[in-house]
Amino acid sequence: MNIANHITPDDFYLFALQLLPDADMKSAATHLKECAACRAQLGEVQGDLVTYALTAEMRTPPSQARERLLRQVAEEKKVIPVDPVEHKIEPVLYPRNSRMFQMDAPEEREPRRFAPVMAWVGWGVAAGLAVVAGMQMNQRKLVQDDLAVATAQMSQGAAQSAQAKEVMRTLHDASAMQVAMHIPLNAGAVPKLDPEGHATYAPSTGALVFVADHLDPLQPGKTYELWLLPATAGEAPIPAGLFKPDVNGDASVVMPELPKGVTAKGFGVTVENDGGSKTPTAPIVLAGM
Amino acid sequence: MTLEGCQDSSLSKKVDRFHGPSGNPFDLRVRSMNSGMDESTGVARPAPEDDAELLKRVLRGDERAMAVLFDRYSKIVYSVALRVLRDTASAEDVMQEIFMQIWRNPNSFAATKGSLGGWLAVVARNRSIDTLRRKRPSEQVEEMNLASACNLADEAERTILMERARAAVKLLPTEQRKTLEMAFFDGLTHSEIAEMTGDPLGTVKTRIRSALLTLRKAFQA
Repeated sequence: MNIANHITPDDFYLFALQLLPDADMKSAATHLKECAACRAQLGEVQGDLVTYALTAEMRTPPSQARERLLRQVAEEKKVIPVDPVEHKIEPVLYPRNSRMFQMDAPEEREPRRFAPVMAWVGWGVAAGLAVVAGMQMNQRKLVQDDLAVATAQMSQGAAQSAQAKEVMRTLHDASAMQVAMHIPLNAGAVPKLDPEGHATYAPSTGALVFVADHLDPLQPGKTYELWLLPATAGEAPIPAGLFKPDVNGDASVVMPELPKGVTAKGFGVTVENDGGSKTPTAPIVLAGM
Repeated sequence: MTLEGCQDSSLSKKVDRFHGPSGNPFDLRVRSMNSGMDESTGVARPAPEDDAELLKRVLRGDERAMAVLFDRYSKIVYSVALRVLRDTASAEDVMQEIFMQIWRNPNSFAATKGSLGGWLAVVARNRSIDTLRRKRPSEQVEEMNLASACNLADEAERTILMERARAAVKLLPTEQRKTLEMAFFDGLTHSEIAEMTGDPLGTVKTRIRSALLTLRKAFQA
């Protein structure tokens, strides 16, 4: 990047644009600290970037942005140290025989014994305020975090509740299609316990609840896949979810993503590789029409 | 920066030259912007407070000074951030963050660094790119030292500068203009640009530099 320890002309621009790789950024920054000529050149490059930045189409920020900023500015009020020189109060002069003079006279005669103490009290109050402000900010942050977590939990709970309601609606839907699935006649030898499946499907909403039992354990890398068999002739089976049985051979698929309004003539189950397949692979493990 | 057009006096001369010597009502209006006198009415108006003075007031905790700075520069900061992020909420967040940085630490910009408006425009771009890349802000680039003061505080001057910059960019060769746009507003690295365009790395670097140099010369002309 460097020629005779200086930054190359091209790299000046990439540095200013923050586009150099991290190592080159650090190396250039180190060089710039020691090289006034390169700093001057970088200043010109930065100026070029300002010019180019002005080509962005000007948009007025939303009106609430100003209020938002000023609100945060007010929340983060500064504690300003007292400047003894700038804030020295000039004495007000009154005629010697005036009433004001008489009222001020004792104070004027009083030596400023308490002035240093008062100054320290001021600093103490300022420090106290700063600590309180810091604690309040910290507390505010914690409350905001808690609120965010609670909101997320509520959203999750609402989603789960909605899904549960949909499952209940599907199971109690009198018009839902009920399909019992068994080993098809051409699937080969009869197992000791016959796998069974039952699907409840509402075509209008695409809601599907499927339960199965006595399923054979799967080989590693394999999964069961449920298929919706469309009633329309010639339409390909639609994948309706992947599942693996537990140790008892039980499994379920609840509310898989399915298109709405597809009339089914039945359902089927096949064994596929992990991740599922777009088309069913023989043999068919379960089928029901 | 070395933009002659950004020097207050030269800009005023150029404005007068653009608008002709007399008889044009715009002559009066433009000159009066720099004299502090509305010559059409003859009423003196207060000169706008300069940025250095406003920053001093911010340092003293003056919230009204922050409001003035926001009114003066929020449009530039927001527009640059929006151009990079293409999302109003994210652009507003970047703007808020930058102005709060000024409030919390007005010393992060010292008057010696040049134009506050220019600094804000470049910081807005850099912060927005950091947001895109989900990176922490890079302090080494924010410690910039603009070569000379470009007065973006005055809206009329700012508008003229913008028009000139846009006109100059339009004259750039298409490849240079696109490469610069990808680097500046999209935050693509030269390697990424080279990969996307199929151009050699060296060509991409040279295009970025040439485009910005052409822009500089256009302002110096």
